[in-house]
Amino acid sequence: MSGIPSFHGFGLGLRRPHYSAFMAGDVPVDFIEIISENYMVDGGRPLAVLDAVRERYPVAMHGVSLSVGSAQGVDWDYLARLKALAERIEPLWMSDHLCWTRTSAHNSHDLLPLPYTAEALDVVCANLARAQDALGRELLLENPSSYCSFPDDEMAEWEFLSEVCRRTGCHLLLDVNNVYVSARNHGFAADDFLAGIPMERVRQIHLAGHTPGAILIDTHDREVCDDVWALYAEAIAMTGPVATMIERDDAIPPLPVLLAELDVARDIAAQTERRAA
Amino acid sequence: MSLAALQQEFMGHVLDEERPLPRHWDARMGEGLAIYRNAYRTRLIDALRETSPKTALWVGDEAFAQAAAHRLILHPPQGWTLDLIGEGFVETLEELFAADPDVADLAWLEWAMHLAFTAPDCPPMDAAGFAEATSDFGEEDWATMRLAFMPSLHVRAVSRDCGALWRALEREEPPANAPLPESPMHCIVWREGLEPVFAQVPARDGNHLAAMRAGSSFGEICAALAEELPADQAAAEAGAMLGDWIGRGIVQGVSSGLPVAG
Repeated sequence: MSGIPSFHGFGLGLRRPHYSAFMAGDVPVDFIEIISENYMVDGGRPLAVLDAVRERYPVAMHGVSLSVGSAQGVDWDYLARLKALAERIEPLWMSDHLCWTRTSAHNSHDLLPLPYTAEALDVVCANLARAQDALGRELLLENPSSYCSFPDDEMAEWEFLSEVCRRTGCHLLLDVNNVYVSARNHGFAADDFLAGIPMERVRQIHLAGHTPGAILIDTHDREVCDDVWALYAEAIAMTGPVATMIERDDAIPPLPVLLAELDVARDIAAQTERRAA
Repeated sequence: MSLAALQQEFMGHVLDEERPLPRHWDARMGEGLAIYRNAYRTRLIDALRETSPKTALWVGDEAFAQAAAHRLILHPPQGWTLDLIGEGFVETLEELFAADPDVADLAWLEWAMHLAFTAPDCPPMDAAGFAEATSDFGEEDWATMRLAFMPSLHVRAVSRDCGALWRALEREEPPANAPLPESPMHCIVWREGLEPVFAQVPARDGNHLAAMRAGSSFGEICAALAEELPADQAAAEAGAMLGDWIGRGIVQGVSSGLPVAG
């Protein structure tokens, strides 16, 4: 099974309004992240765009449909298509979420929350091990935002994630905004989360905006807030240099706006590195 | 509660807001579930609207959202890809707008364009390629000739002038009524390079195209034409149709002989 290459830098997601700029290769980023499912198609423009972008940038594949927490197990057809795409573009790495999306009958097309129980841990580890075997590579698992927690919970999310890493050898995609959102929604300390996960396994960081309210919602439709920037500074002080990207999926602004936001991440990372030196 | 049972229960609440909460799930859990339920509905209705923007404009946003919700309640998605969320939506619209067949025609056209957008890549056979492939054809080869069409090709008989309706909606100027075609038409959709395109063709051409796509031989098409037209006209018509298909770039390959069983 292939490991994860050593890579750090600053990237953006490949989104339709910015296709032409990324295809021209003149966007000052170190890598691009794609939503894998958008390119798991037979042909046409999406793959033509991706091929052109891949010629110019390293690409990370980020999935939303692995459903690693499904009690029904993995979807082998999905994995086969995912693998075909990976073979086509040779990504930096592949990631998905600690969640479930489907039952045997229905697919929610959403990242649904898991109970943090011993049974769920066994299911996630078994599914992830099968997926990693099928794909021939270690995956990155992302902590999701969640809006409810279960009375059945037997451990904290960070304990659950740590055990998944230990048992499967997977790596982590740390979504700092999701830590913030879930911490606020469930009343835990974001610092406890950061202190509780194996930081040496973090290979990528996501930053995004959320919608405030009684329950915070991870909407990816606005700029990163100050509290999340502060948490990012804490996180990278613990991880050291790590690939970082801004996720924007709705109300997508012009590229210069996103690049300016990415510069904030660069500045925070540089300051943190200087302090550590 | 086992993980499988918990996930069934949770999914039940995502799909159905009337479902009573289990005793050990508190009000806070209910608030969280409402967020997931709302996100589910919004995401899927938006996805249907994204694949059918002109249909949404044609029937109005509220009617479209109701139709989409109706579809999702009766047929919640099963597959992993949101790209195919619109599968079966045309049939739903045919039922809901039975008196307005233009709605399903337009939705079909948008869905076919959507499918053509990501259909497998393959080069069409051009006139020179066709001439070369058929250069040594004898009479029997022509009679048993079958065509392989581009995987992006879709064909449907339409009741209204979908082209005129499409163009009006593209200008965001919906007409009062869907324009009627001057004569019965078929709509065909395929992809030129990376661009999905469509055209309307006379019903006779469309029927024969659909028949050849379903596996009929060129000889069978010629025989059918000979029942409709004088012999010399039938031959000319068959040749013209063939030339039209090749010229449009919807033919991928050609073979002759009896179809291989299995």
